[in-house]
Amino acid sequence: MNWRSIGGVVRRDLAVVARSRPAVLPIIMLPLIFFVLLPVLTSWAIPAGAAELDELLPLINAMPQSIREQLGDGPIEGIILRYLFEFQFVSLFLIVPLMVAAVIAADSLAGEKERKTIEALLYTPTTDLELYLAKLLGPWLAAIGVATFGYVLFVVAANVTAPAVVTRPIAVNSLWIVTLVWLNPAVAALALGTLVMVSARVRGFMEAYQLGATIVLPVVLLMIAQFSGLLFLDAGLAVVIGAVTWIVALGILRLGYRWFRRERLLLTS
Amino acid sequence: MLDVRDDAAIAVSGLHRRFGRVTALDGISFSVGRGEVVGLLGHNGAGKTTTIRVLNGLFAPHEGEVRVLGLDPATDGARIRARSGVLTETPSLDERLTARENLAFFARLYALEPARARTRVAELLERFELTDRARDKVSGFSRGMKQRLALARALLHDPELLFLDEPTAALDPVAARDVHDLIRGFAGEDDRTVMISTHNLVEAQRLCDRVLILRQGQLVAEGTPQELARRLGRSARVEFELDPDQRQRAIDLLATTGHVGQAAGDDVVAADGVSREDLPRLVALLAAQGVALYRVSPAEPTLEDVYFALYGAHEPQPAVDSQDAAEAQP
Repeated sequence: MNWRSIGGVVRRDLAVVARSRPAVLPIIMLPLIFFVLLPVLTSWAIPAGAAELDELLPLINAMPQSIREQLGDGPIEGIILRYLFEFQFVSLFLIVPLMVAAVIAADSLAGEKERKTIEALLYTPTTDLELYLAKLLGPWLAAIGVATFGYVLFVVAANVTAPAVVTRPIAVNSLWIVTLVWLNPAVAALALGTLVMVSARVRGFMEAYQLGATIVLPVVLLMIAQFSGLLFLDAGLAVVIGAVTWIVALGILRLGYRWFRRERLLLTS
Repeated sequence: MLDVRDDAAIAVSGLHRRFGRVTALDGISFSVGRGEVVGLLGHNGAGKTTTIRVLNGLFAPHEGEVRVLGLDPATDGARIRARSGVLTETPSLDERLTARENLAFFARLYALEPARARTRVAELLERFELTDRARDKVSGFSRGMKQRLALARALLHDPELLFLDEPTAALDPVAARDVHDLIRGFAGEDDRTVMISTHNLVEAQRLCDRVLILRQGQLVAEGTPQELARRLGRSARVEFELDPDQRQRAIDLLATTGHVGQAAGDDVVAADGVSREDLPRLVALLAAQGVALYRVSPAEPTLEDVYFALYGAHEPQPAVDSQDAAEAQP
């Protein structure tokens, strides 16, 4: 395995994406909205609407004891805010690694076909496997990097703007740690697998991105299940969801490698 | 079993390649010696690009044997590609990157050490007169500049074997001449081999030691331009210089032999399609009928004459190359 070539393709793909406005915009805007704007607005909105928070008491009462204990006691707005920041937003934030991986993979796979740059790449000594790994590694690492950096922004934004009722640091718990090291990489891998399959059938970046973005649906379902009280996501469940996601993602990626052959890439470009 | 000469850079025997129901290569066999410059001629869809892709291990053959630099492209494609350079039909450059970044990226893929890569990139930018634009994004380059940069990329790793797909298609005459000089110079160094796929018959005649003419996936002619011209010499043009008063008589006499003569000046009659064998007979006939001939000038048939003799000037272009075949697949 020629890791120098793989590194070269990864660096080139990321440099190329960084110079594309349609690709860079969502990569910058999504984390800003999710990791900065959302906690700031939430920190302001929850105390402002404290009078109506009693309606959420049934949700709090339905929570598993383990989650309830982590939220601690105190005013209702503090408990709700802590629940949102430490549990509810986790599923929402999964959209970030997923979308970042999808955007970069769409540019790197379908975009390369669209720009007609794939042929020269295929005439190099790089093997199919090396090219495939390179095409996956770039978006995957970028997705994890953006999500991790975003999380740091989120922790800062949440703790700086949290109202006085929140008496200890928020958004630092075992669920977030599992999310960062296990669930985010799995979700990014799932997005990559989807984009590999989608890119095999389309010829352009936008088409691949739009079709690939449908992978956000399972995350939306997870969010709805959390909001409605059907499911309470904690570290244990995140480990399980992560494992299932990894299995599905690796299965799709393995299938994708069967497609990722020089001959097929040329015939579909 | 493929008979591979020691000096063969490329040896192909009975190569078949299909795309769905379309046959792109139909049992072609040829060999290319080390140090040769060989032209691959044919209409769009004749199988030229498919041949280059098979030779580099991008497409697997369905039948037949192929050896490139002694290696089988189907199993040793990466090793072949490490020793060959390819100028693709479209420049295939990343337009969001600068000229230098494009070359540096490929230098890495061709396993050039970082220091060597920097030197080589600078050398090639200089050689192709792109040093001043090295830091500019390729999106702002003209077609000719992109073509030069793509050619520089093909030469980065100093390949033993160079495949050029329409190398001067986008170049002005001066740049095209420079590329011709470069190809000649490249082929002259250390027995390096060049295969040029081109529609430009003048270019092929000027550059190639030998040409292969493909038609609908079959190799229909192979040889030096001169050999082919002799073999298919029926399209030669002959000029007869004679007394102006005898011009019409000469035209009439030529007509009796089935040749169409036409005035090409007051004292010149030209006849097309005169073969080598016909010429003594025509001269004898004209002389016997009292036409005084002052000069007989048979023009050597050009590669263009040969090409059109094989293809027919108005034959529609078939769509059997891989690109077209991909569209045709069910």
